[in-house]
Amino acid sequence: MAIECLVLGAGQEVGKSCVVVTINGKRIMFDCGMHMGYDDHRRYPDFSLISKSRDFDHSLDCVIITHFHLDHVGALPYFTEVCGYNGPIYMTYPTKALAPLMLEDFRKVLVDRRGEEEQFTSLHISQCMQKVIAIDLKQTLQVDDDLQIRAYYAGHVLGAAMFYAKVGESAMVYTGDYNMTPDRHLGAAQIDRLELDLLITESTYATTIRDSKYAREREFLKAVHECVAGGGKVLIPTFALGRAQELCILLDDYWERMNLKVPIYFSAGLTIQANMYYKILISWTSQKIKETYATRNAFDFKHVHNFDRSLINAPGPCVLFATPGMISGGFSLEVFKQWAPCEMNLITLPGYCVAGTVGHKLMSGKPTKIVLDKDTQIDVRCQIHQLSFSPHTDSKGIMDLARFLSPKNVILVHGEKPKMVSLKERIQSELRIPCYLPANCDTVHIPSTTYVKAHASNAFIRSCLNPNFRFLKRSTEENSDQVLRNTNSTAPLQVNDERVAEGILIMEKGKKTRVVHQDDLLLMLRQKKHDIQFGYCCAAQLDNLEETGNRDGALSHSDKCSCLQLLFKELSNYFSGVNIQDLGEHLQVESFQVSVCLKDNCPYRIIDSPRKEAATIFFCCSWSAADEKLAREIISAIERFNLSDNLPCKNSK
Amino acid sequence: MEHHLLHICLQSLKDNNNPPSLQALASLRSLIINPNTSDSTIYSILKTLTHSLQLSTNSLTTHHHILKLLTDLASHRTHLSSQILNSIHSSSLLFTESTQIAAESLTSLASFSNSDQNKIDDQLFMSLCFAATSASARLRLLRNGERLGIGTHMLFTVFLGFTKDPYPYVRKASLDGLLGLCKSCDLFEDISVTEGCYYRAVELLQDNEHSVRSAAIRVVCEWGQMLIAAKEGNDKIAQSNQVFVQICSMVRDMSVEVRVEAFNALGKIKLVSEDILLQTISKKVLAILKEKNSHGQCTAERFEILASSYAGAFMHGLEDEFHEVRKSACNSLRIHTILYAEFARRSLSLLMDMLNDDSMAVRLEALEALHHMATFDCLNVQEIHMHMFLGSLLDSCDLIRSTARKIFKLVKLPDLKLFRLSIHGLLQNLERYSKDEADVFSVLFFMGRSHGNFAARIVKEVSQEIEPVLEGQLGLDSARVAAFLVLAISAPLSQNQNGQIIPPRLFSYAVTLLGRISCALSEVVDQDTLLAYLSQCSRSSTLGAEVEVESLLPVVDDVVLTRTKKDVNNPAEAPMLQTGNETSKVQPVTSCELEYIATSIVECQADELDEVMKSVNLILARVRDAWLLVQSRCTNVALRALRDCKRELAMLTSASLESSGAMAFTLQYLQVMKLFAKIWEHAVWKIRSNGTGGLEYLFGKLDMRLRELRYRYIGFSKEEELYVLELIAVACMLRLSKVEISCSPTTMKKLSAIISHIEILNDKGSIEPSNILMDAKKTVHEIESSKAGISCSLFLITNLDDFFTLKQFSLCSRVRHINAELNVPGNDSENPLRFVSGLPVAIPLDITLYNVSSENRLWLTMRMSEESTQFVFLDLNILGGCNEVRKFTFMAPFYRTLKACSFSLWISIGMECALEDCHILKHCGGPRRDLVYLFQEKEVHLCLVRRG
Repeated sequence: MAIECLVLGAGQEVGKSCVVVTINGKRIMFDCGMHMGYDDHRRYPDFSLISKSRDFDHSLDCVIITHFHLDHVGALPYFTEVCGYNGPIYMTYPTKALAPLMLEDFRKVLVDRRGEEEQFTSLHISQCMQKVIAIDLKQTLQVDDDLQIRAYYAGHVLGAAMFYAKVGESAMVYTGDYNMTPDRHLGAAQIDRLELDLLITESTYATTIRDSKYAREREFLKAVHECVAGGGKVLIPTFALGRAQELCILLDDYWERMNLKVPIYFSAGLTIQANMYYKILISWTSQKIKETYATRNAFDFKHVHNFDRSLINAPGPCVLFATPGMISGGFSLEVFKQWAPCEMNLITLPGYCVAGTVGHKLMSGKPTKIVLDKDTQIDVRCQIHQLSFSPHTDSKGIMDLARFLSPKNVILVHGEKPKMVSLKERIQSELRIPCYLPANCDTVHIPSTTYVKAHASNAFIRSCLNPNFRFLKRSTEENSDQVLRNTNSTAPLQVNDERVAEGILIMEKGKKTRVVHQDDLLLMLRQKKHDIQFGYCCAAQLDNLEETGNRDGALSHSDKCSCLQLLFKELSNYFSGVNIQDLGEHLQVESFQVSVCLKDNCPYRIIDSPRKEAATIFFCCSWSAADEKLAREIISAIERFNLSDNLPCKNSK
Repeated sequence: MEHHLLHICLQSLKDNNNPPSLQALASLRSLIINPNTSDSTIYSILKTLTHSLQLSTNSLTTHHHILKLLTDLASHRTHLSSQILNSIHSSSLLFTESTQIAAESLTSLASFSNSDQNKIDDQLFMSLCFAATSASARLRLLRNGERLGIGTHMLFTVFLGFTKDPYPYVRKASLDGLLGLCKSCDLFEDISVTEGCYYRAVELLQDNEHSVRSAAIRVVCEWGQMLIAAKEGNDKIAQSNQVFVQICSMVRDMSVEVRVEAFNALGKIKLVSEDILLQTISKKVLAILKEKNSHGQCTAERFEILASSYAGAFMHGLEDEFHEVRKSACNSLRIHTILYAEFARRSLSLLMDMLNDDSMAVRLEALEALHHMATFDCLNVQEIHMHMFLGSLLDSCDLIRSTARKIFKLVKLPDLKLFRLSIHGLLQNLERYSKDEADVFSVLFFMGRSHGNFAARIVKEVSQEIEPVLEGQLGLDSARVAAFLVLAISAPLSQNQNGQIIPPRLFSYAVTLLGRISCALSEVVDQDTLLAYLSQCSRSSTLGAEVEVESLLPVVDDVVLTRTKKDVNNPAEAPMLQTGNETSKVQPVTSCELEYIATSIVECQADELDEVMKSVNLILARVRDAWLLVQSRCTNVALRALRDCKRELAMLTSASLESSGAMAFTLQYLQVMKLFAKIWEHAVWKIRSNGTGGLEYLFGKLDMRLRELRYRYIGFSKEEELYVLELIAVACMLRLSKVEISCSPTTMKKLSAIISHIEILNDKGSIEPSNILMDAKKTVHEIESSKAGISCSLFLITNLDDFFTLKQFSLCSRVRHINAELNVPGNDSENPLRFVSGLPVAIPLDITLYNVSSENRLWLTMRMSEESTQFVFLDLNILGGCNEVRKFTFMAPFYRTLKACSFSLWISIGMECALEDCHILKHCGGPRRDLVYLFQEKEVHLCLVRRG
């Protein structure tokens, strides 16, 4: 079994995210986006690679959309309505609510402004949306018997989610776009520690490490505050969703704290409508907004009023949010024309502006004049402040997520190739996780874990239930790494509780696989347990044994005991730290046993001619394999002993 | 009923063949829990239950029920618990079958009685632990391990072993147990044991369950600290770093709980290398550190991996989504900021950014951190910070504003621009929240004092604003002007005020706002000191005597400084104490402070006399101000002011005799002035007309005090002596002015004697006699000439006003105080002296005399009642000793012993007033003139000697 990952879009590029993953036979399409940079066939993912016969209903089990941005959802109506996919589509509630707005807006721009032939109609959009099944955060959805999906909070935009998919024992996460640092209005991505075979992550900022956004916020607030304090007007051109709310919360909060009375305006239109969605979808916002919701809705801005065109030239300071974000036209351009010539005013620009827009011209150097068309020229004397808030995670965030999840494999998508290469190397070297960067239309094969079902015997289960820990002492050789402050450095003392180690896996042909406890095995095989014992009969010097009066050589019982006691004494002296037990007939150290050997030809004796007159006494030793080392030491010690010197003088009288 | 029930139930239990019915058990239970059930019944229940517990024929469920009932019984009758425990214990053979139940019963038994009785032996505990197949039973055993009285070693082994349990809650419980054990650290002499536990916890940092991870962080932190404590020298720091980095790896955990725990733990590690700390506030791996490492221990790649594991740890904490985490991060960052200058500098920017946080708690915590830095003098504010920093002065939350102001009190600003910005911010604060006025003034005072030069510059710039605008009207109502005045008056107190002179009139403007300003500065200086300071500054400069101001300033400054130092230091030390043992690097900071204070004390002592004289004169100056209040009929206020003076005087301690003389004089003078004030109220304003009795009493007291003032001090300069005499004259005149008691011949006589004395003095020198004396002389002549008793001339009073207003009395000579100490050794009411009635008794007295010369005639007075006083003359020529201090033991004979079992004597020492008129006193052999007493009477107890 393996996981197969076919990248249809966003492979080594940004745009038209679309990845088809096959896990244990189940096929899931993650995202279905369009590329905004192309007008031709490259705009959409090449769906034919999924199925030559274009029978998508059978070749795909489901489609999952992570968030409402067009490069993630743009191709969906086309795929369902034009290409004819009728299977389930999953997305979060906010995405389901906001995606049609975005699609409709895009369609309008395409058809009405650029006059292009439309790829899909309004009807297509609504029909497509009817096929969508909404999913909630952390809700586990059983797509069919085997496939299970779950959504996790991803930050980024309202309703963005990372998706976990599991088939059998193989599991993976597709992140979509996400943000590891929280915004004011959105939280940071949040996911459980999962056992994953594969993580597919975006890598928009594969090499950037972003500083704290606080500095940027501070500068923004300072610029705005100073402008309004000086009686100027502030124009903030923004996109309707996300950034507008973010900045508005920032300003509203500041206004509240500083007790400022200067009005903040929202230009009518999409922004207001978007605010409404935000108000409804509170549970998808950041912790702070959720907390304040009990007292008031954070999107009911206290200081924000609706803007009226008549207010453009009203005296006094004000702050205005206007769409579109890059001053490419519309209301923001209209206001810009009026306000730009005054030095007191301030225009804030988003971090990124498409070439050709007024925003882009303002960003590139500080022009004094902007020529709109041959009739219109604008004198730009106002201040310009640039601020960039990106809702994508930076490379540290990607690394942190990968470290936290510790998947078996990582695939990078949604990024620029050179940067992705460097990130890939970091993941491989720092995290030691294999990492892939497939290009569009490439397929990556990943081995997945195979699981075999086995029946466990009762004894095994019982032994697993009972704690069974042991302490191991590690030699301290490995501790030289201390200077490196190695996180893996190990302690000399370790706890070991390997209950499974006592189990035995039995795989027989034609029978079910079983796990039994080692005690069961004997029963099953009707065998007895065999222990390997080692035996050795060693000789010890015993000089003045003659004096004891037993010249015939046969040692009496009492002599035997006294010999053993002698030995016990010697051994105790020699191995001071070892626990030696005197059990009368024999001495015992761990599994090592020693007793006086009285046989003439003991099978374990190597020295075959006992020199009786030299007063040698034989000790029969036995031990099990585990104590081999100890046994060897004791035996060599015994052989070196001369028990004569301190023979008890009991019998010498 | 009870017995009936019992009978049925017990029958059912004893029936071995059938399990007891639930009903019977329920009835038993009702008997057990009913508090009215008789003891005998309870005992028989207990007996039966214990018995049936031993039966092996019971089924598992029966066992369960019986154990449950026994537990209930123990919980309701606690005195039986140990007995019940024993019985459960003894039936432990059966536990193999029902370990869980047994474990539960044992633990619940343990939970409601104290641990001494509940000890179960280690072996049983161990066997229970290993036999407990259900996780909940293990959990209960682990949680109650300590309560069951298990030995620490055994517990440690069990806890450590169970960190491998498959159930996360068991793992958590054992980690919690290990955490608890770390406090009883007697068993951990063996470092490998500590290490074993620490590394096991480190392994569990990677656990899948967040509750386990956060428990593991706590264990890593606490046991890590034990490891650190066990190491020495460089190893200590290395170990400390290792623990710190280990915990840092957890700050990116997905669970809030874990992150909060991690930051809490980071704050507990005290000594961390600077490079690691620096790396924790930068997400990028710092180049400097890479270089540093280049000659170091590991490969560059290895190092980078390592560094990236803790890079930006604090940054992440500060920009966390959850305010709990941000707060915790701020808090632990605070601990580390004061260690290294560079780290302090860099983390300052982060903390300043936190002032823009949306959570009030976080903003407050950040401000607290800044305050902490300011207290340890490592807060170097840059211009870039000012917007946020000043923003917190305008915060809508009171607490935030006041905390921010607390920082401004301590902050040191590098240049005028920042100072101006700060003052501007404070003024805005004042403008918007007028209720903050007092605190803002106080901050301005502090800032002005620490940045005198800047303050003077600012005051100069805005002096236009302060000056009277329209028709000479001051814009003093405006808080802004008041604020500038506060700044102005604080500037001269600064050490770094280089010759920038604040126009003296500003001080007099400030006087008009005295109440407002002194209220604001109440923690630094009291109103009177402030007034003295202000009037000194304004007055002396109008006279053109700059030098005097200069010389006076340090006094005020010192008083202010030392007091503020104390005030400021205390809050700084408080958090230090909270955090427990600070690291070695921190201590120098505080000890430095202490050293500073100590040296200033030494300097003070060196110049003590001068200091005391200065302070005394300041107080004397305030007396005059107080007199102004008397004249404006605010006697109560005046009296309060005088009392304040007294209190202040009491605070001046002195070691030398000379300064104590001056102080004693001042005290006496204050008392005299108080009496004057009171009499004034009666005699002049006639506000209180509670009869002459009260007035007569006051006059009497005044006379006595004045007499003491005149005779008990020596070494007056001529001016001083004159002043004292004038005071006496005034007292006489006041007495005369009072109709009822006027024209008393003694008073007249006294007055004329004083006047002639003054004249004699004046003849010698060239001092102009004051108007009042001229008037007094006139009056005396008038009265004497008229010989009538109607010369209650009130015109005198107007001049008296002048006398006190115009005359500024100051003490400049070394006044010495004639004083005595008297002690009856070993005598008190319990140990009286023995006497035989009718025979004289000798009373041993330890006498110390100060500044008594041989010319003084001293009398020992021994008073039994008003009527009978015995005088004994102390001949100083015989007693010997020098003039300054004479110390001797004197056996005073007392002749008139009573026929009583016991009585007490009142002993004192009086000095004859040399210049008073001779009285023919009734006591023969006694003093011829009035006496001034040198100390309060002392009681001597005497007791009849018993025979046998």
